[in-house]
Amino acid sequence: MSSLRRAKPAAAQSTDAGPDTPPSLTPAELAAQRRKRRTGTLIATPGALYLLIFFVVPLGLITVYSFATRTSTGRTSLSGWNLNSYERIADDVILGIIARSAWLAFLTTVLCLLVAYPFAYYLATRPARLRARLLVLVMIPFWTNGLVRIFAIRFLLGSNGPASALSEAMGFGTFRILFTPTAVVLGMVYGFLTFMVLPLYVALERMDWRLVEAARDLYASGAKAFWRVTVPLTRSGIVAGCVLVFVPSFGSYVVPEILGGAKTLLIGSYVARQFQAARNWPLGAALSVLVIVAMLVAVAINQRNSANAERTQGVTR
Amino acid sequence: MSSDAVTSASPPGADAGVPAVEMHGISKRFGDVVAVDGIDLQIGDGEFFALLGPSGCGKTTTLRMIAGLDIPSEGRLAIFGEEVASWPPDQRPVNTVFQAYALFPHMTVEQNIAFGLQMRGIRGPDADRQVAEATALVQLEGMEHRRPSQLSGGQQQRVALARALVNHPKVLLLDEPLGALDLKLRQEMQVELKALQREVGITFVFVTHDQEEALAMSDRVGVMSEGRLLQVGTPAEVYEHPANRFVADFIGRTNLLEGITESPSAVRLDAGAVVAAANGLAAGSAAALSVRPEQVRLHRRGETPAGAPCLDGVITDATYLGHAFVYTVAIGPTASASGTNTGERAATITARSETGSAALAAGEPVSVSWSPEATTVVAD
Repeated sequence: MSSLRRAKPAAAQSTDAGPDTPPSLTPAELAAQRRKRRTGTLIATPGALYLLIFFVVPLGLITVYSFATRTSTGRTSLSGWNLNSYERIADDVILGIIARSAWLAFLTTVLCLLVAYPFAYYLATRPARLRARLLVLVMIPFWTNGLVRIFAIRFLLGSNGPASALSEAMGFGTFRILFTPTAVVLGMVYGFLTFMVLPLYVALERMDWRLVEAARDLYASGAKAFWRVTVPLTRSGIVAGCVLVFVPSFGSYVVPEILGGAKTLLIGSYVARQFQAARNWPLGAALSVLVIVAMLVAVAINQRNSANAERTQGVTR
Repeated sequence: MSSDAVTSASPPGADAGVPAVEMHGISKRFGDVVAVDGIDLQIGDGEFFALLGPSGCGKTTTLRMIAGLDIPSEGRLAIFGEEVASWPPDQRPVNTVFQAYALFPHMTVEQNIAFGLQMRGIRGPDADRQVAEATALVQLEGMEHRRPSQLSGGQQQRVALARALVNHPKVLLLDEPLGALDLKLRQEMQVELKALQREVGITFVFVTHDQEEALAMSDRVGVMSEGRLLQVGTPAEVYEHPANRFVADFIGRTNLLEGITESPSAVRLDAGAVVAAANGLAAGSAAALSVRPEQVRLHRRGETPAGAPCLDGVITDATYLGHAFVYTVAIGPTASASGTNTGERAATITARSETGSAALAAGEPVSVSWSPEATTVVAD
């Protein structure tokens, strides 16, 4: 049993051989490198300009406005910078709206996960040809006009709609879901489910099922193998899906406007109101900044998560 | 000689009582494909048994059925006398070393090894002690907190072994465990694995497509092809007395000389000449004479010893291998100047001789001979 003693230095050697010191480049090589860099810049320019004009500039304006003052006439005065708008966020009403938005977004995310995981699991374990077809089915609602879909749900859930009629026919009486937080969550689950299914599908499709067999061989029941092997190895998909659902749910505007009642005011609608009816642009801007910061935090979590997944699983694949 | 070789070998542990693995008429179909076709096999307690065959012959499916990862379509399967054919894998007293190891990438070496114990509810100091023992057994001390991706192929292989052996399975199943290693490491691991098996005394069932590996490591070999078990025997039995043409051809290199049996003790070769060769076949059956290259003796034409069966031919190729020469000799009417060969079809024979002997060149007329005991007559 001598090969282990041999294996250790061999492993050490291979890591030593890793970072080579770059040899100095000849003028011709440097010129080629410069040309390559210039071409890269040229290709990226249109996209960069577009993002600059339609994303970075408005974002900057919003940030600037969030420090501005609202005049008594509802105009925004771009002088006398202050933190008043941010201080107003601490107001109980606004904190309530933020808490409610976060809570409903959380419920939406959990429900999406519970619905999407088994579905993505089913998808990923079908034969390759069937998989492609089922995936198209998942995408179809995603390609359909969102507003149409939400109005369809409004009709479905309405007190005169089919769901209520069915419930009455079965003797449970009519129900009132429309214009409640329940309706908003149901609508958001429907609207954002694809964002959960796709990353989960990708993670499960990449899953090495031999590892589950190994777990079963090592005395794990089906359920234990699932919790100890499948779930941890698809964690990157779970986190990505949750971020992708939570972020738009938290700032959602269309769904709560159509399915929610006056009592389910969420942050998206509240922000819209500040810009429109209430004419309080600085407050709307400050809340927008808050939502964007929340989103950036979520994205950072996601980035770290996928980097981790690559580090722990990359090489054995 | 050839027909009774199939059943002549009894496993070392067979007389000690219940066989470790017992299969009766085991078949496995996947849709229309028959992966395993009616296997009968007994593997003795403490035996090192190799299932050998080309890829797609059903050897891995057979192993997976013992593990419980595939459920047989037909037949009976017992492990130490217990009928397990329909049991799920987690209920069976066997563990597997998977091809490419299937180590859990999200767990450390230690967590990988402890997994089976945890699943059986063994925790705390007792589990720690057993994990440490298994780690020491495969010499992985100091690697406990690494992840599989930080290990070399050989080290991963050891983790896979430890992860299985820590559970003290009654049978250890190994699916091409050395396949992913480079040649030198593979040869070292062959020796180690054999030593390890003796140390732990567990029945090993080993799947490989590498006939050298199977011969080198196992107490007995089962040769499979197209879902069927063709021959079971010790490495020497399988090598020296292959049961049929496939086994003769698959195990080692051999010359298969086509012919027709003339009597129970002689074969008329298509290349001419009637040679003495014991066979259990009816006269007039198509058969082939298997002669291993190292059993073929080469003589300069005219220096032939009396008595031995002898064919004339011409060397068409000479390859130098360092420790030996390998010659290809064309036999038959086209090669025969002397007219002693009366057959109509040509054949080639590969011969090996030690480098020390005088080298022969291509084009040289030679005669080949062998001792009749060194040959086996195989039918289809």
